[in-house]
Amino acid sequence: MAYHPRENWIPQNRKRVYTRRDFVQRAALLGIALPVLPSLLAACGDREGQESAELAIGTPASPVQQPLFDDNPAIESGLEAEAGPLLLYNWEDYLNPETIPLAAEALGVDIQVTTFVNEEEALARLSSGEVQFDVWFPTSQRVPVAVAASLIQPLNHDYLPNLQANVWPQLADPYYDQASRYTVPYVTYTTGIGWRVDLADSADIEGQANPWDVFWNEKYSGMIGMLDSFTDVIPVALFHNGVADPSQATEAELVAAGDALVELIDLVDIRYRIDGSYAGLPEGRYAIHQAWSGDLVNSQYFWPGGEDEGTTRYLWPAKSEGSTTKGAISSDTMTVLKGSERPALAHAFLNYMLDEANALKNFEYVGYQPPQNGLTSEYLVSEEWLLPHLAPALVAPEDFELDSAWVQGPLDAATEALWVEQWNRANSGG
Amino acid sequence: MPTNLASGAEYATVGQKRWVWPGFALPGVLWLILLFLVPFYAVFAIAMGQLDPILQRATPEWNPFYWDLTVIGEAFAELFGGQLGVIALRTLAYVFIASLICVLVGYPVAYFVSRRAGRWRWLWLLLILAPFWINYLMRMMSWVNLLSPDGQVNRWLTTIASWFSIDFVPPDWLAGNHVVVILGLVYGYIPFFILPLFAALDRIDEATLEASRDLGASNAQTFWRVTWPLSRNGVLGGLVIIMLPMFGDYYTPNLLSGSPRTRMYGNTIDQFINQTTSGGAVGAALTIILMIFIAGLMVYYLRSISRASQEARE
Repeated sequence: MAYHPRENWIPQNRKRVYTRRDFVQRAALLGIALPVLPSLLAACGDREGQESAELAIGTPASPVQQPLFDDNPAIESGLEAEAGPLLLYNWEDYLNPETIPLAAEALGVDIQVTTFVNEEEALARLSSGEVQFDVWFPTSQRVPVAVAASLIQPLNHDYLPNLQANVWPQLADPYYDQASRYTVPYVTYTTGIGWRVDLADSADIEGQANPWDVFWNEKYSGMIGMLDSFTDVIPVALFHNGVADPSQATEAELVAAGDALVELIDLVDIRYRIDGSYAGLPEGRYAIHQAWSGDLVNSQYFWPGGEDEGTTRYLWPAKSEGSTTKGAISSDTMTVLKGSERPALAHAFLNYMLDEANALKNFEYVGYQPPQNGLTSEYLVSEEWLLPHLAPALVAPEDFELDSAWVQGPLDAATEALWVEQWNRANSGG
Repeated sequence: MPTNLASGAEYATVGQKRWVWPGFALPGVLWLILLFLVPFYAVFAIAMGQLDPILQRATPEWNPFYWDLTVIGEAFAELFGGQLGVIALRTLAYVFIASLICVLVGYPVAYFVSRRAGRWRWLWLLLILAPFWINYLMRMMSWVNLLSPDGQVNRWLTTIASWFSIDFVPPDWLAGNHVVVILGLVYGYIPFFILPLFAALDRIDEATLEASRDLGASNAQTFWRVTWPLSRNGVLGGLVIIMLPMFGDYYTPNLLSGSPRTRMYGNTIDQFINQTTSGGAVGAALTIILMIFIAGLMVYYLRSISRASQEARE
């Protein structure tokens, strides 16, 4: 078995030799007798290349198995579920409030949910070791990092019969974690384009070779928005420029993407908002907005009049007729944290959530779709869990196998810095 | 001096009580250490810490001897030669214009309430404060509703325009409008300007104004030569109270615009800390730069206050 990457880590700065001058500068800075700028800048040696640990990053085309470590074993089979309370760590509004008491009753324990606003916050708190939770809901992109940092423990499938029984084969043995060693899938979604048929011409999006180009259509100036999230926006600009795999984009391609985004400021008065799709479209603040598919499902509850007027549409450019471009697909997972004191109970909770009826109950509130065999889009629409015009916002199991489905991996610090640099350009405005 | 000797002797006799009065400062000092100095040090430790090779996150370095100045240097370079400069200048402009409007609007209001409102002044104060029983975000969200393309504001404007049969295209207030963001800042912070100013105006002794008029000054002269100088520190104090949070504000431009045109310095800090994995150190460095700038403003304020109290004593 592999060495745990943590074992080799010596903080980078500790390897550097410090001179008296360095020390004086630090002391000065500490005292906020703030030194003059030039001396400060002069003190900046170049940051040595950080060695980053090998992460097992999979794509549908080349799936990976996450490594196991001696000091992080899965629990034994046949253990009794521990006494509660079961502590969950999840995004805000990402679990049906009615599911919590139902699960608590089924498992016979109390369930407490703590929420995080974003994954940066979650990672910071989990890796600091200051918090104790049993179950955490990371995105699939974070799984390699969570495994390498030993935040989560391997799963014992004896406790998870619902995984093989109910979950899409594509995600019961997913590309990011072959054999589901550490994770079970929670929900799945695509990133695409949401629009209003009464405010925009559908022909500008549907049937286009590159539907993403619509964000550069000045006809919709002032009515266009994208997600306030650079990991979602930069890929759109790269797709617009014809780059096949944003994860592999060169610096020149990123700069060109930044140029394309800067252009949007004057061309269409672009705005970046996180609520633009689920609330902005129904409220008529936008004609076209980049959207996560689950948010568009939720938009049916955000109409100012209370009634969905049926004029919103969703398109995932990876699965659009005539489209030659790609689009992101992803899924979120459920994991048992390494530090959990109730691992058997946590497994039981995962299995509970993988039950079809329970998953459907959760979907009713969350709007993000559980990858359950029984919950096909035909079923969800015919049972009126979803309005028919929003059916394209549902993911089909085969979608993961499309060549045009793009999966985003984690960015290393150097690459992330390049992305953020372009995002800052796009965001400074004139 | 004999009096000093006497008090010294007194201390000596009740020696064990020497710590009693300074002891009252203890809760305040503890508060300051726990909730200001420690977090403040943490910001430095993160800005000059290192990157965790697995998580790719900025981790704090608590030992100053190992501090790495790279990131803070990069942040400065970005401020003086990069994208950040535009945002910083815009933030400065927003804050100064918004503060100026606060003075122009807030001073007359505070003046009226303290000097002219008579026995209804408490009602006036209450009315000024009433909106603040509602959370800041809630108030901004209601503005989003009012200003949306088919919101109430545009409906009223369209109605008024139709009375005069003017061809009127309702503007999109929320599409990255500088004026809307600045007015949002003014709306959000102006009561915090009015209150300290009201207190300062209220403290001015009526007799000094009467004396000024007795000595033949006109109303305008009385205002410029007596009221204004005596209230200047109230204005400065109010400005400090509103300008500091305005410099770090990011939710006002977020809610009222969301456009790159109106992005403020606080948005950039927020982005590095909340949206990026490895950018925490840059966010911390930007925070330090902002604090240095604000410290400069504070020094100016404190100096002008102490100068004023010195003048008052002479």
